[in-house]
Amino acid sequence: MQMHWEVLARYYPLLVRGALDTLQFTTISVALGTLLGLFVALLRLSRNKPLRMIVSCYVEFFRGTPLLTQIMLIHFGLPRLLGYHPNTFFDAILALTLNSGAYIAEIFRGGIQSIERGQMEASRSLGMSYAQAMRYVILPQAVRRIIPPMVNEFIAMLKDSSLLAIISVNELMFRSMQISGRTFRPFEVYLFAALLYLVMTMTFSYVGSRVERRMAIDDSR
Amino acid sequence: MIHVRGLEKHFGDLKVLQGIDLHIRQKEVVVIIGPSGSGKSTFLRCLNMLEEPTAGEITIDGQILTDRATNINHVREKVGMVFQLFNLFPHLTALQNITLAPRTVKRLREKEATDLGQQLLAKVGLADKAHSYPSQLSGGQQQRVAIARALAMQPRVMLFDEPTSALDPEMIGEVLAVMKDLAYEGMTMVVVTHEMGFAREVGDRLLMMDEGRIMEEGSPSEMFANPKHPRTQAFLSRIL
Repeated sequence: MQMHWEVLARYYPLLVRGALDTLQFTTISVALGTLLGLFVALLRLSRNKPLRMIVSCYVEFFRGTPLLTQIMLIHFGLPRLLGYHPNTFFDAILALTLNSGAYIAEIFRGGIQSIERGQMEASRSLGMSYAQAMRYVILPQAVRRIIPPMVNEFIAMLKDSSLLAIISVNELMFRSMQISGRTFRPFEVYLFAALLYLVMTMTFSYVGSRVERRMAIDDSR
Repeated sequence: MIHVRGLEKHFGDLKVLQGIDLHIRQKEVVVIIGPSGSGKSTFLRCLNMLEEPTAGEITIDGQILTDRATNINHVREKVGMVFQLFNLFPHLTALQNITLAPRTVKRLREKEATDLGQQLLAKVGLADKAHSYPSQLSGGQQQRVAIARALAMQPRVMLFDEPTSALDPEMIGEVLAVMKDLAYEGMTMVVVTHEMGFAREVGDRLLMMDEGRIMEEGSPSEMFANPKHPRTQAFLSRIL
């Protein structure tokens, strides 16, 4: 079979644009998911049992069902239920945020619980409130420990955002499908798309390992 | 200044404290000894509500700790605590460890807090370690920073939970020296320790705890010389 790499010469700008959109959806969603996840983690560690149950249901649902199902449910199901017009951009962000929020909540919870009990006790014994102890003592230490799993979560989300293609979000995967259909060169197009994904994921895992090493040096001062 | 009446603490079926009654006067140094599992640490932790008592009443400086209406954070400001494992904040420097609570709880300005911190570091002999992180300090130095940190809230009482048990022998002296200074300055102190030399030298009163009760109490010299209770005799013969 003959390769026709020249299609890439023509279409690569569109694919690179798609990669940037993938990056944008992932970054916005993981950023919002981090806020959501922190909030959910704190509720999950709170003393309020009903609240704890509610957020546990949320976490279990979004970790225990496929992201593709969640995307369909949010894009096609929710607008029907609540009677509004589906907005692809909004639905895409919502689906990825809710999904990553559930995973990030567990990452935060693990990080917070990994801090020795004595840290909270020492803070409280000085007269600090629970919230102050969290803010100034527990979270700053937990954040260092959760950097590696957060980088993993970001990379997973970057790849999984390709599922947004199913609701025609104009990201890398959707563009690849369109261009492949138009040019009948699936191998060239998808290989190039795969390389773009790889460049992004490898960049982030490199940055992640650099940050992790920096933190390790900080800790051993 | 500290009144304890009928204090009990249960963990499930386990009765760790089975009715403690105690009155501690201002400026008194009370040393608590006893075998492990006797409830000494739990008792100390009840005094600042790190453990919630199952029954009984604790009053410090007229405030009833065990009353739900009492703002426990306010009481804790007045009760400093030093832990066996120091529990310094590893992400903060020695100075920041000391200034964190005054800044966040008492809302001291940075300048005031720093001055206070430097002054306290000098008091525990670590003026030159202000910008060191806990991991750069020896165990004895860490514990001295922890004492300075507790003092920064200007507490009326200091609780020490086996402050030298995790230290190498050559570092115990420097921590005890700081504690002795505090005692001579008139700080009210409750100290759980196995350091009998410290008890003899600065202790006003010695309490022997066993099985969640105060078995015997008296002046240290008197109790060392002729312990009355057989449990106290057995315990002292093992550690002296």
